[in-house]
Amino acid sequence: MGQRILVVEDNAMNLKLLRDVLQFSGYDVAEARSGEEGVELAGRRKPDLILMDLQLPGIDGVEALRLLRANPATRAVPVVAVTAFAMKQDRNRALLAGFDGYVEKPISVRALPSQVKSFLRPEKSS
Amino acid sequence: MAEGNAAEAISIEEHERVRRDLSDATEQFTATSEVLSALGRHASDPDRVLGTILESARRLCRAQAAALYLLDGDVYRLSRVVGLSDEFVEHVKRHPVAQDRTSLVGRVGLDRRTQQIVDVLADPDYRRRDIQRIAGFRTTMSSPMMLDDAVVGLLSVYRDAVQPFDDRSMTLLGAFASQAAIAVHNVNLVQALEARSAELAHKVGQLEALGEVGEAVSSSLDLDDVLPAIVMNAVRLSDTDGGSIMEYDESQQIFSVRSAYGTAPHVLERLRRTRIALDSTLVGRATIEARPLVVPDLAGVPRDPHLQCLYDDGWRSVVAVPMLRESRIVGVLVVRRKTTGSFAQDTLDLLQSFAAQSALAIHNARLFRELEMKRAELEVASQHKSEFLASMSHELRTPLNAVIGFSEVLLEQMFGEINERQEEYLRDIWSSGKHLLELLNEILDLSKVEAGKMEMELSTFSIRGALEYGISLVRKRASLHHIELRLEVDPDLDTLEADELRFKQVVLNLLTNAVKFTPDGGSVAVRATKEAAELMVAVTDTGIGVRPEDHERIFESFHQGGRGPPKEEGTGLGLTLSRRIVELLDGRLWLKSEVGEGSTFAFAIPLRSARAEWDAHPTDVARQPTGLPLVLLIEDDRPSLDLFSAYLEGVDLEVAVAHDGEEGLDSVRRLKPAAVVLDIRLPRIDGWDVLRTLKADPATSKVPVVVVSIVDERAKGIALGAAEYLVKPIGRDDLLRALERVRVLDPAPVHKKGVGMDKAP
Repeated sequence: MGQRILVVEDNAMNLKLLRDVLQFSGYDVAEARSGEEGVELAGRRKPDLILMDLQLPGIDGVEALRLLRANPATRAVPVVAVTAFAMKQDRNRALLAGFDGYVEKPISVRALPSQVKSFLRPEKSS
Repeated sequence: MAEGNAAEAISIEEHERVRRDLSDATEQFTATSEVLSALGRHASDPDRVLGTILESARRLCRAQAAALYLLDGDVYRLSRVVGLSDEFVEHVKRHPVAQDRTSLVGRVGLDRRTQQIVDVLADPDYRRRDIQRIAGFRTTMSSPMMLDDAVVGLLSVYRDAVQPFDDRSMTLLGAFASQAAIAVHNVNLVQALEARSAELAHKVGQLEALGEVGEAVSSSLDLDDVLPAIVMNAVRLSDTDGGSIMEYDESQQIFSVRSAYGTAPHVLERLRRTRIALDSTLVGRATIEARPLVVPDLAGVPRDPHLQCLYDDGWRSVVAVPMLRESRIVGVLVVRRKTTGSFAQDTLDLLQSFAAQSALAIHNARLFRELEMKRAELEVASQHKSEFLASMSHELRTPLNAVIGFSEVLLEQMFGEINERQEEYLRDIWSSGKHLLELLNEILDLSKVEAGKMEMELSTFSIRGALEYGISLVRKRASLHHIELRLEVDPDLDTLEADELRFKQVVLNLLTNAVKFTPDGGSVAVRATKEAAELMVAVTDTGIGVRPEDHERIFESFHQGGRGPPKEEGTGLGLTLSRRIVELLDGRLWLKSEVGEGSTFAFAIPLRSARAEWDAHPTDVARQPTGLPLVLLIEDDRPSLDLFSAYLEGVDLEVAVAHDGEEGLDSVRRLKPAAVVLDIRLPRIDGWDVLRTLKADPATSKVPVVVVSIVDERAKGIALGAAEYLVKPIGRDDLLRALERVRVLDPAPVHKKGVGMDKAP
């Protein structure tokens, strides 16, 4: 099995799309539908990377990130924001909030695998 | 001797006659000169002139009395007398003289020549024995006063005894009558003149007041300014004691006092409390009948509540003038007096002018009020529209992303092979989805622009780079249609200070359009030139061009008019949006095109934004004692640090060094450098966090940061607020150019003409 990626996304369609593309690229995909669930799952499943939607019901992506960074078990996991293309301020907000990077919605099916790869810690892949 | 005596006697007689003649002549001369001098001295007082004439006529004609009659309608009336009793005057006043032969005056008037009756008692035709009895005269002579061939009056003299007037007296009376006619004419002239000037003065006063009111009406939409001026002037000019303007409330059908003048506060208070309804009141009736209504005496009429209120305060006469606007009732103007009496027609006319002005004022004020409300409503509606569009676009975008994404999954054949037909349709789904997404984004942008919520994020970027980016995005489509793409950039041009993303959006839009409307085998050229302090970008195609009448229309939403059928669908919003974005960048976008000659869409924007907040040397950056700007290097790697220091040697800069993120942050706050060169891989706090922290703190956010890193994460760096992003290994020129671009270094001499940074306002 490849590296594990946790996808936190409330929209079922987007979640399915991300999961299909990542699985197709050989990743083990864990799914969470809310920030709370994502934080909880990250603690248990120890993912190598987290893809986090910014707009989530309950706690939002930024708050979820804060919780992840506050927990020693998940502090080192790179977290990538999934942001809407048209929302430039969202993108900046994500980087200012401390996300390790962002991918833009609509995600590019073709480009996503290589984008994801660039965020994974190289030492783990070796 | 007898002969001699006779001669002497004749001589004595003759002498006596001559002496008398001389005396008469002297007297006559004296009298005439008296009259003339009276005429001269008292030309403006014809009364005195006439008195002098009458007195002279009596004396010189050796009569006991004289009288002046003036034609009034078809009778002669006594104007003035000398030597006649009050009884006579009273009698003739009651019984004027007819234009017939029953009196001498009548006869002379008809015959138009001087005549006398030697003995009125012996004249069978003389019928005015009444006059004769009272005055007691026997002989009378009368002479006509002629003006322009018409008899205007008569001058009569009376003798108590029967004693005929001689020829000389007749001539004399004729002369006096002529003088009297002139005097009367003068009287008429003076009176007419006086009446005219009084009328003029009145009119001037009215015009002045109307002008004052008109000015007030047109200069202020505030009724509290205008209405008091109108009431005051209306009262003043109608010579009344007080007045008010009432506004009509259509929904309740009542009048309420808006403004009053000459009205005691307690009366005004009572008037305001009084219900003045449309029916059954004077003011209501005036508005319904659309004419001024006058009550000359309030005591003698039934009084409605309004009139009763006035009556109780001592008002006795009142006029209500309706204020109408396009036959709708606006209100009523009321003026009133403490005395009874009617109102002259010209007063009523004047009041109607005032009422019209008041109606206009109230109408304007209402209109303004309505406009204000409409404007506020529109603002709210527009706000709602923008919010709706923003949220709708977002809601639509999510499922659309799924459509696009899943069609991509299938096209990538992640779940097995697809046949050609399936692939074609999947591409159709994919491109339709993309098109729809583009449309949504543009709608969202446009609604942001319209709501004034599109903010420009300024940065400095390479002009050539941005244009090349645009070209790279249309290259595939262009080569598909064998369209040649050309780019020419003026060597004088280097960087631009604007919103990079929006600039690229405009360039891409113009390029996409150009490619879309250029037939296969054509060409599209992009030219960037420097025009004074502006950058001009022109995108020229070899398409069929745009008809002149469509030049402006194509900038309207959803118009593609006149460019022929595009090779593929556009959104119809791109040009509208592009123009708005260029305007937000303080520039302008225009079209130059002729049918058959292709089109050039061009825009010009300032090379350096006037909105730029940070400058080469921000005011909160402390100058070093040397007067040179300070650059802080935050870098832990010794060899790199040595290299950078070597690069900066001999350059007009001061250099400070920090060896990790924490020290770096501290140094920036302490030293306030003109620029920071920041490595990303740092111990303790990494470069990204340093950058974030610097940009989040208003005290340091304006210090330009040049990021140096072994990883090319330029987008991230720029997004976090870096001014420049350099990927190691870095040459000396790379570093110096970057410092030039953030303006801590003056451009090297060879580049001096380049960007014109030193000429910036």
